[in-house]
Amino acid sequence: MKILLVEDNERVAEFVAKGLKESGHVLDHAANGRDGLFLASSENYDAIILDRMLPGGIDGLGIIEALRKTGNRTPILILSALAEVDDRIRGLKAGGDDYLTKPFAFGELAARLDALLRRSQRVEAETVLAVGDLRMDLLARHVTRAGKAIDLQPREFKLLEFLMRYADQAVTRTMLLENVWDYHFDPQTNVIDAHISKLRQKIDAPFERPLLHTLRGVGYKLSAAQA
Amino acid sequence: MTRLLRSTSVRLALGYAFLFILSSALLGGFLWWRTTGYLDRAVEDVIVADTRAIGDRLRDFGLAGAVEVVNARVRRVGDERAIYLLTDPRKNPVTGNLAAWPTDVADRPGWYQASLVRDGTRRLTRILYVQLPNNFRLLVGRDVEDREALRELVVNALAWAAAAAIGLAILGGFLVRRAALARIEVINRTASEIVTGDLARRLPTHRAPGDEFDQLAVIINGMLDQIQQLVEGLQSTSHAIAHDLRTPLAELRGRLESLLRRRPHSEAAFEEVQDAVADVDRVIEIFNALLRLAEIDSGLRRSGFSRVDIRTVAEEAAELYRPIIEERGASLALEAPESLGLEGDPFLIAQAIGNLLDNAAKVAPPESAVTLSVSRRDTQIEIAVSDRGPGIPDEEKPRVTERFFRGDAARNTVGSGLGLSLVAAVARLHGGSLVLEDNDPGLRARLLLPAA
Repeated sequence: MKILLVEDNERVAEFVAKGLKESGHVLDHAANGRDGLFLASSENYDAIILDRMLPGGIDGLGIIEALRKTGNRTPILILSALAEVDDRIRGLKAGGDDYLTKPFAFGELAARLDALLRRSQRVEAETVLAVGDLRMDLLARHVTRAGKAIDLQPREFKLLEFLMRYADQAVTRTMLLENVWDYHFDPQTNVIDAHISKLRQKIDAPFERPLLHTLRGVGYKLSAAQA
Repeated sequence: MTRLLRSTSVRLALGYAFLFILSSALLGGFLWWRTTGYLDRAVEDVIVADTRAIGDRLRDFGLAGAVEVVNARVRRVGDERAIYLLTDPRKNPVTGNLAAWPTDVADRPGWYQASLVRDGTRRLTRILYVQLPNNFRLLVGRDVEDREALRELVVNALAWAAAAAIGLAILGGFLVRRAALARIEVINRTASEIVTGDLARRLPTHRAPGDEFDQLAVIINGMLDQIQQLVEGLQSTSHAIAHDLRTPLAELRGRLESLLRRRPHSEAAFEEVQDAVADVDRVIEIFNALLRLAEIDSGLRRSGFSRVDIRTVAEEAAELYRPIIEERGASLALEAPESLGLEGDPFLIAQAIGNLLDNAAKVAPPESAVTLSVSRRDTQIEIAVSDRGPGIPDEEKPRVTERFFRGDAARNTVGSGLGLSLVAAVARLHGGSLVLEDNDPGLRARLLLPAA
């Protein structure tokens, strides 16, 4: 995928660029707002990673607003040293698609970027999700594995739905907290792990091959492929 | 009603009305005393003088002398309103202008008010009955019908005046109240706008020297200027800290992560770097928690207040934290019988409840129950989390909400020492409080927030 990174801090840019190239992405880098806006509006990118505070006359929010005004719908992930809830809301309101606070783990950035890319590629609304022999009927709100019905609580259903929508890719704990629980703060303990292990009891324990994998230091991945 | 009386402007208005009515009553009483009261006293003085004169005659010249005086008085032209009656001990008239002993006058000497028919009309008469030597009885009276008419006139006038006074007092009180309220209302409105986060608002002042309200406004505005400077200073400092510290932390974390990805040749080095990443993450976590506390304490979050149903927030928090409590072999009971509304920040309240549940999860012994209850306590909503853990000793209770304070029991558990500080800050932001009590055994943390 072709990604634009707009980030003025050299070291952070270097570290993000290296990681993304290792994951197989093609990357352009702009070190200020003016160059960033120029590249973003002249080239075709699959996603843009954008720092909020930038030199060069136009900051991150300004770039987003300018792009959205011209009908550019490229998914944008905002990076910011501002962690206050208001800043986050302002970033998303301006037209950003996701918001990540500095300092961040590269795994978190990569997982969120993958989710953004996946979301923008989805064409029609799915009514059935499938990962291996696990099937979820979104209309009937019914889950089966190898033909056997699995009884899930509403929140477990939502959690599994999110994991299935982003199957075969890393999903972090904060992504789950934000998207499944709508919580935008760090709980002190890993409450998510406990929910995942309950879900495992239902979808993996009675079967031979596990589908829900733990990715050390990153989060989880639902995948039919052998980890 | 008691609430209405607590309002200063209402008390001011009532005080004004009371003073006005009191001074009107004093004036009315004085007028009464100077008019009808004066006439009463004049009539009585004349009657008493008459009875004395007749009594003196009787003593000095005997019955004949008294009769002569009475007859002379009765004959006196122009004094038709005067009544005289001298009787023997058995009340048989001896002389006077009254045919018989009046029924309104009893056997005991003293003052009487009698209604007497004279010249075909019934007239109100003031009569003094005195006992003369040798058991002779004397009645001396004066017709007071005219004075009665005057009294009625004065009473009517005073009643009207009183009614007008009360009406004026109420109107005046209302006007006083409205004038004071209008000024206070401006102060109230501005203050609540500032409390909700609009720090740039100021009270209106007049250019001229102005009254006491103006002086008050000037002082409050000066205070507001200082508060605004402080809050803005705090904000720009925390933004600067945020930017200046986050960036090097991001660099540090990035370097360590690149090291990990490169897979250092020895397993020991790999683990060292992994631990270093975990250390950096803890620094970041504490740093984020501190910035969040500063953000809450600045009060700026009030601008994001909305109507929150505490039952829903509690249900969601219970749902999120139940599995970690159950993993310890304990259970979580939720007691939220009714939906309870308040004005607040739903995310912060959720985080506060989360922190309390998280603390409970860390200390709850197996097989024990953790309880999250939501209930109404008068004007407050109580969110209480109770556990059966070791509790907090009394001497530590006042200190546990201090930043970075960790009690003996918590020394060996995971945590930043900022969890309860955040809960207390959220309570303060909402104008509520955090109360820590013994659960015998265990801890009962009560978050009290004002109900909407």
